[in-house]
Amino acid sequence: MTGPLTCDFVMEKMKEFGTVEQVRANRFRIPTTPDRLRDAVKSVQESLACDRLLTISAADNRQTFELHYHFTGQHRTIVTITIELPREMPELPTMSDMLLPAGIYERQIHDLFGIVFSGHPALKKILLNEDWPEKEYPLRKDWKPKEKTFYGGITEEGR
Amino acid sequence: MAPLSVEVTETMTGKPGNWSQRLVNWARIKSPWITIFNSGGCNACDIEILACLIPRFDVERFGILAKGSPRHADILIITGPATLKQASRLRRVWEQMPEPKYVIAIGACGAEGGAYHGLYHVMDRVESVIPVDVYVAGCPPRPDEVINAVVTCLGLLAEDIAHGGKEWRQKKAIEIPDNAKTTVEVRV
Repeated sequence: MTGPLTCDFVMEKMKEFGTVEQVRANRFRIPTTPDRLRDAVKSVQESLACDRLLTISAADNRQTFELHYHFTGQHRTIVTITIELPREMPELPTMSDMLLPAGIYERQIHDLFGIVFSGHPALKKILLNEDWPEKEYPLRKDWKPKEKTFYGGITEEGR
Repeated sequence: MAPLSVEVTETMTGKPGNWSQRLVNWARIKSPWITIFNSGGCNACDIEILACLIPRFDVERFGILAKGSPRHADILIITGPATLKQASRLRRVWEQMPEPKYVIAIGACGAEGGAYHGLYHVMDRVESVIPVDVYVAGCPPRPDEVINAVVTCLGLLAEDIAHGGKEWRQKKAIEIPDNAKTTVEVRV
């Protein structure tokens, strides 16, 4: 399979996960639900020959958190699996056991959005500084820096 | 056997000093060694500084040598704002440099945060982490402006040696004399 994927082919393979949307000539978006994410990723890897994870992007649209898993392969078509998470309890199983590079993206998303990836082997800070306070997620839309909180850096004493 | 007598001279006493101290001062002005530290910038200033090192601008003809370790360097060149994560590292790098040490902050970010001003992860000014001697304007500045900053820094170094330290150019706090304080009477 060397040519780009066609819309009919992707629709036939992925019809159980939701409606396939063709955004551009070589980009497909498949909205699905968090509990079917692992099956969708496995299906994308096996039946669509997408062997590479490009990135995981996260967004806050004020009602929910969106997660986009972008995949590609030899056919140079980008297939995106999109899920939405509730803001009250943003938790979903990790993909780092199936996709090794997903682990580092999940750590970044956990840093900046506070989404918990259960089962991740080491969900520690990676982007923010070590003395950043807990429960502060700076890329959430409703986050504002509090006046009396110390967010790290150099103090007057100089550490 | 008589004990060895070692004549201790300060680095920047302003006095003529002994022969070796004069040699060190001369060499320091003729050939400053720099180290480059990115404290969280976007890499544009780094590219302009690296352009100074290649044969087109060739700062080695002025004796300026880029060193990897801050322990060998006289001048610390900083690009970018100080991010919260880099602030303690920047302080540690600066503390490892031997006296007399000079700091050049490159670009708009080092002065006031630049494009990153007011963001959640930056300290805006490099000055809030370590003292800065020379600022270079621009986003990014041209390589010849970076070379000009290093040469300006050498002028500062020569003046500091003549004055016997860096204290002469530090700003002093304004002292208000006691008789200048006034009391305000409020009449109802």
